Amino acid sequence: MDFRVVAGGAGFAGDRCDPAVELAASREVDALALECLAERTLVPGLRARAANPQAGADPRLERRLGPLLPVARANGCRIVSNLGAANPAAAGRQIAALGARVNCDDLRVASLTGDDVLGMREHIKWNQDISGELLGAHAYLGATSFAAAIDEGAHVIVTGRVADSALFSAELFPILQDHEHALAGATAVGHLLECSGQITGGNFEMPDGSSLSAWEFANLSFPMAKVFADGTAEIHLLDGKPGRLDALTCTLQLLYEVHDPGCYITPDVILDMTQIQFDEIGPNRVRMSGARSKGQPTHLKVSGFVDEPGLIADIEIGYAGTYALKRGQLAADTLRLRLADIPQEHLRIDLVGIDSTLGAASLTSPTSLPEVRMHVSARCDDAQMAQIIEDEVYSLTLSGPAGGGSVRSERRANLAVVDGLIPRERVEPELHWETAS
Amino acid sequence: MRVGSIAIGRSGDKGDTLDLTLVALDDNGYAHLESQLSQAVAQKAVSRVMPGTLTRYTVPGLRALKFVVDGALPGGVYASLHAGLHWQKAATWVLLDLEIDDV
Repeated sequence: MDFRVVAGGAGFAGDRCDPAVELAASREVDALALECLAERTLVPGLRARAANPQAGADPRLERRLGPLLPVARANGCRIVSNLGAANPAAAGRQIAALGARVNCDDLRVASLTGDDVLGMREHIKWNQDISGELLGAHAYLGATSFAAAIDEGAHVIVTGRVADSALFSAELFPILQDHEHALAGATAVGHLLECSGQITGGNFEMPDGSSLSAWEFANLSFPMAKVFADGTAEIHLLDGKPGRLDALTCTLQLLYEVHDPGCYITPDVILDMTQIQFDEIGPNRVRMSGARSKGQPTHLKVSGFVDEPGLIADIEIGYAGTYALKRGQLAADTLRLRLADIPQEHLRIDLVGIDSTLGAASLTSPTSLPEVRMHVSARCDDAQMAQIIEDEVYSLTLSGPAGGGSVRSERRANLAVVDGLIPRERVEPELHWETAS
Repeated sequence: MRVGSIAIGRSGDKGDTLDLTLVALDDNGYAHLESQLSQAVAQKAVSRVMPGTLTRYTVPGLRALKFVVDGALPGGVYASLHAGLHWQKAATWVLLDLEIDDV
C-alpha cells in the first residue's frame, strides 16, 4: 500500500529548533510540519502588521528556518508551517529571500492567505457578546485549501491560521484512498504529531512518578508517522533516539484538547476517535487504526481577539529562612487588608509553593518551608491602579514582615479570545508563489 | 486510594474551556474509575477551584475518561489572575489527587 512519512518538527511558536533539523536530515521524512501558532500567538503579529504591512509573520521564522531549509532541501523533505502567523504572504517572500541566502536557490515557496476574516465579520456568528475592540478574526482553514501546493511541488508551504492537523494531512492527500475514513485517519495522525514532544514522553508521568530522565528530556526526539493510503499509520521515533512513544503517550495526545471524542470537528472532517486503537508493534513504534469520519462541517471555526479595557498586574515577593512560610502568610494577610477596597473577583492573593496553582484543591500545606513567594494578581482599570498595587507589595519590604525581597512584577494586557463560526463557502483561500533567486 | 495511583492524566484548554484526560493503566482500573468518577463527583472536585459546567465522556476502547469544563477559564488564558500564565496545565492534579474507594 502507498504510504508517506510526515513528522512534527515544532509544537508551538517557541519550541526547540534542533529536533526538526534531525528529522529532516534522516532522509526518512517526506514532509515536516512546524506548528507555531497557538490561539493567542497571532496577537503580536496582528499588532506588528498594523504598524508595518510587511510585518506580522512569526518573529522566530528566520531562527527556525535558517538552519533547517538547506538540510530539508538536500534531503527531499518538504516543510509545512503556520509560521506565516498574521501575514503569510509576507512570510512567503521572507522565506524565499532566506532561501537565497542559505543557498537554496531554486526554493519554491507557497503561501496561503484567506484565514483573515475580519473584513467579513458580518458573516461570523460569535458564541458570546463582544464588548471591547476586535483586534482580529481568523478562520481555521483545512488541508483542502492548500493541498494543491503539494501536487505543484512546493518545497515550503507557509500558512496563517489553519487547523494544526491540516499541516500534516495535506501531504497525504495525493495518496489517500477515496473514502472519508482515510482522511479521518490522516487527520488523527496530524492531531497526534502536532504537539511535538507531548507524544514522545514530554509532559508525561506514570502513576509511580517515573518519567524520562533529564538527559532524555533535554534530547527528546520529535515524532514521525508512516501513513498508509487507508489512513492507518505507524507512529514512531527515529531509530534509537531518546523518547517514549507507546499506547499511553499516544492516547493522552489523541485526547488532548478534544472535547467530545466522538465528534472532534476539524475543517476537513469531523473525526470520531472512539474506535481508534493503538497497538505497540516495536520499540517506540505504535500502529494506529480505527479513525472514522462523521462528514465535513458546514462552518469553520473562527478565533477572535478582543482588546478589553484595563490590564492585569501580577506581582510576587519572596521570603526565606526560618519562619519563611509564616512571614509569607502574614504578608498575604497584610496585603488583603491594604487592598480591601478592590472587589474580590478582581483580586487573587496566594502563596507560590503552597496554593498559587491549584488553589483550594492544593495538597495539605507543610508547617514550614525553606522559602516561599507571596503572589498577587489584580484586574486593574488602568496603569495607575497597577502601579498602586505594585507599590503596595514593595511597601511590604519596609512596613511588612521581616526580610521580604526578590520582588518581581509584570503587567499583562486584558485580552480575551472569543470563538465564532463562519459558513465555509464565505472563506476564500488563495495560494501565492515565490521562488528563491 | 488516589485516582493518580491507577491513571495518568493531561490538561488542555481551548478558549475558556478546560479539558482533562485520564487514562487508566488496565481494564480493572478503567472500570473502577468509570464507576467512581461520575460526572457529579468530578464536577464537585473541579468546582473547588474553577467555575464552569463539567461534562464527562467515556472512551472505553482507550481506557480513557474525558472531563470537559465549559467556562472554567473565563476570558481565556490571558484573563487569568493566577501567578504567571497557563496554571491550567496542572489542573489535571485536581483529579489525579482525588481520593476514591479502593479497588
